[in-house]
This record gives sequence, C-alpha cells and structure tokens, in this order.
Amino acid sequence: MSASKPLPGIRSVGCRLGLLAPSLLVPLLLVSTAQASPLDTFQVHGFLSQALVITDDNNMFGDSSDSGGSWDYTELGINASIRPTENLLLAAQALSRRAGEVDNGSVELDYGIVDWQMLSDRDRTFGIQVGRFKNPFGFYNQTRDVAFTRPSILLPQSIYFDRTRSLGLSADGVSLYHEERIDNGVIHAQLGVGQAQVDDDVEEVLGLDVLPGSFDADTSAVGQVRYEHDGGRMVFAVSAASVKADYDSPGAFPGDGKLDFQPWIFSAQYNAELWSLTAEYALRDVSLTGFDAFEDNENQGESWYVQYRRRFLDDWRWLVRYDSLVNDRDDRNGTDYEREGRGPAHSQYANDWTFGLQWQPHSRVMLAGEYHYVDGTAWLPVQDNPDPEDTERRWNMWLFQLSLRF
Amino acid sequence: MRRLSLRLLFCIWTVLISGGLASTAAWGKTADEVVVISHPGLALNELDRDTLRAIFAMRLRTWPSGQGAEVYVLASDDPVHATFVKEWLSVYPHQLQLAWDRIVFSGTGQAPHRVRSQQDMIDTVATTPGAIGYIEREYLDERVQAIARD
Repeated sequence: MSASKPLPGIRSVGCRLGLLAPSLLVPLLLVSTAQASPLDTFQVHGFLSQALVITDDNNMFGDSSDSGGSWDYTELGINASIRPTENLLLAAQALSRRAGEVDNGSVELDYGIVDWQMLSDRDRTFGIQVGRFKNPFGFYNQTRDVAFTRPSILLPQSIYFDRTRSLGLSADGVSLYHEERIDNGVIHAQLGVGQAQVDDDVEEVLGLDVLPGSFDADTSAVGQVRYEHDGGRMVFAVSAASVKADYDSPGAFPGDGKLDFQPWIFSAQYNAELWSLTAEYALRDVSLTGFDAFEDNENQGESWYVQYRRRFLDDWRWLVRYDSLVNDRDDRNGTDYEREGRGPAHSQYANDWTFGLQWQPHSRVMLAGEYHYVDGTAWLPVQDNPDPEDTERRWNMWLFQLSLRF
Repeated sequence: MRRLSLRLLFCIWTVLISGGLASTAAWGKTADEVVVISHPGLALNELDRDTLRAIFAMRLRTWPSGQGAEVYVLASDDPVHATFVKEWLSVYPHQLQLAWDRIVFSGTGQAPHRVRSQQDMIDTVATTPGAIGYIEREYLDERVQAIARD
C-alpha cells in the first residue's frame, strides 16, 4: 500500500490548528524553515469548567449562601505549544478565571515559556525555562485550575488556598530543571528564581486593601525535589519557596513595609490500580515587617491533609479527605487573636471533611459533585465575606461542576 | 440462624470479589501480544522500561542521536493501549493520562499524537522519522522496526 497517502486518522490528542498560530509564533516559524516542519509539532489544548456552589452559611465564590447558590466559579483556559527545533519548546496559556469576588474573569497569561533542553539522554535531562513559569508547589499547584488534574472540585484549601492564590501561582524569571532516571525511579529537581505575582488578593487578605499603597513583587525563589518510584506507584516531594514583596506607601501611613512568605511542603502519594492515598504537610512562615502603622508581625502557619481516592465502574471515582489549617501555630484555636480584638477565633483555623464523586463518561467530559463540612473560616475568601464577624464557625458546602477539555 | 447469616456473608463476599474482578477484566480484553514499533531509520532496536516510560510520559523529547521523538498512541480507552501501558510500562492508563495532562497544562511538554486504529499506527510510524508506537503482533510488517525489551 502507498505509504505516503494522507492519513485522516491522525491528530494530536488535542488539536492541530496550524492556521490559528498566534502571531508571536510566526517569526519563529520563519527562521526555522530549515526544519522538516515545525508546524507539525504545533498543538492547541484547552479546558472549561463551570461550577455551582451552595453553602448554608458563609460565602464561597459569590453569594453561595443565597437561595440557589452561586454560579460564579468558571475556569477557561487555552494553550498552544510548538517545538521549533528538537530541543526547544515554546508554550503559553491564557486563563480566564471567575471566582466570586476573588477573581473577575479577566484574561491573564497563565504561563509563557521558552524551554531549552540542553541535555537529554537515556539517564538524564537538563533544561532551562525562561519566561512566566508555574511554581512547582506540592502535587497540584502547576495545574491547579484544570479540573481534570484535580482530585476534587476544590483542592485542599489548607495548602492550595484560593484566597491568596497569586502568591504561589507563577513567577516571571528563570527556572532550571534536572531529571535523573535511576533504576526504576525518576528524581526530578527544579529551581526557579524570578518575580512572584503579588496581586490585590494578598492586600485584601492582609487587610491592607483599604490603605493607599500596594505591594511590588521582589525577587523570589521556588524549588522542588520529587522522586517517583516504579512509574509513579510511590511519589515523594519536598517543595520550598521564598516569596518577597515590598509595600510602597504613598504617604506616612501605614509606612513602607515588607512581606516575606516562606512555605515548605512535604508530599507523599501511593498509587494502586484502583485507589490512591495522598498526604501533604506544609509549614508557612509569614512576616510583615517595617510598617509604621502596626508592629512587626511574624507567625508560622501549619496545614495538612490526608486523602483517599478510589476508582470504580471504570469511569467513576470517589474521594474522602480531611484537611486542616491553622494560621498561627502559637495560637491554634485563635483565642489570643480574639482576645486581642482582632476578629473571631474561628477565623484562625479550618478543619474540612470532604466527600467527593467524579464521573468521566468521556475522556473530554467530567461531572463532579462534593460535600464539605467545615469547622472554621481560615481559608474562606475575605473578598466574599467582608465582615469576619458575620461568618459562622461551622458551615456546610456543596459543589457541582461540569468540565470539558480538548 | 447462624448458618444463614454466614451464608449471607458469603454471598456478599462473593459479590464483592466478583465485582472487583469484573471491573478489572473490563479494563480490556486480553489483547494479543503487543509489540513496540519504531520508524525503520531509528538507530536503536532495544529499549529498557525506564527509557520507554520517559518517552511515553513525554518527558524525554529526543532520541540519543538528537532526533526528535514522535510518540504515537491509541485512544486511552483502547484495550491495546491498556495492555501496552500495563505490560511495557508497568503503569496504569489513567496515571499516564494524568501525567500528560499535567505536562500539557503546565507548559512543560506536549501531548503524544493520537491515532484512531492500529492500521493508522503502523502506517504513520512507518513514514514518520523518529516515530515510536505499538501494535498487536498480527499488524506487524517489514515497514517498521520492532523494538526489543532491553
């Protein structure tokens, strides 16, 4: 048979949309005409999720405690990638995220990188990424907005908090990665240096949004070492970061200051054919120093969760998780916080029982539902709950989500 | 009475066990022997499991010669895919799918090329330099190179 006949059955797992090549890619295509056909490596992928959030008390992503709940949780992303030469990868993703008062759905560059794999052989890979890269925080941060890569509709909020998500999301700078393939295992190390995203969410959560100044991101660093044993049957990771930002105060009040955020995350996962067990533990050092308006404030927060997930009937999964967060290890119950008149004690911790169900009737479609019983409001978005005194300590939440991808 | 409850327990146990087996069996008809194939110009004819994992997880983008690796796969719910993934890579299809999703949506790599059938697979691998894929042995012919386990 003719080997050169067109092969209509071939497509990438996503779509090849050569005609839609964004203009930024065009110059690169022109300079690399010597290549066989880099256009063959062009890929476009995307995802879309819409959720309904219902709470009895407190608001999560919109007015979820009103009758009928909130539809204000939408994620939409589209990315493109191309390999102009064998060891070069260009990739960028645009993201629109609407999440109550936390995110308004404006389109942002989620990542945009040039990835040069300098060394790649049987035993190791070494490369460098330049641009905006996603921070390797714990197991889920790099693809936290893609429902298909999440075990549940909401990631464990103690570690992947949505209310100050900009802090850990991505950085603009340079990232080096090294992958060492050893007998029946892979060690993956990554170190990135650059400017973190410090958006309004940080000021809102720290209560500085009412003041005239704002944060400017300073040089930050993030690193992760991950070991995957036996094709991912066991995975262990340690992630650490140092995120710094300077507060620029136009007047004398509250004065210039510094924010320093240093999280450590320890992660472990066991994957069997039909179930997986995941646990992560995090310590977060947060300090606000130098402000004239208030005393220097340093504390250490602690987070952990344990999650069991099981597959059944081929395309169904259920999940149970216990997730715990304290803002200040020296004041686990928030009693000091309340006594000092800073707000209710229950705003300083959150213990969350989650029961979830996912159904994937098609590889591109997922339906999910979950229930949360939460004691405490430490990760409740302040943007959706402006007055902490109006929050309830114990609350229930139901979420339903439809997700698509290509 | 005790006998009855024992029998009932046994029944429940049997249902649970057979349910578990059924869901495992539904994973895929036992496909014929699956062979890994490459473009005939590829300058190697055997690969160890760790390298195959890295190639099919889309983490190793080039062959030792520096040539780009073009990875071809069948649909994730295809029984031949399930057999290949389990027998050659010793992982589960859903794990591999998650690895691809994480790479594709974090900008750290690309998805493999998907073909609709084993006939498409061999036709494409035979004509694409640097290509690697897999088929059942009955589809194998001299246009492609069969890769041995190192």
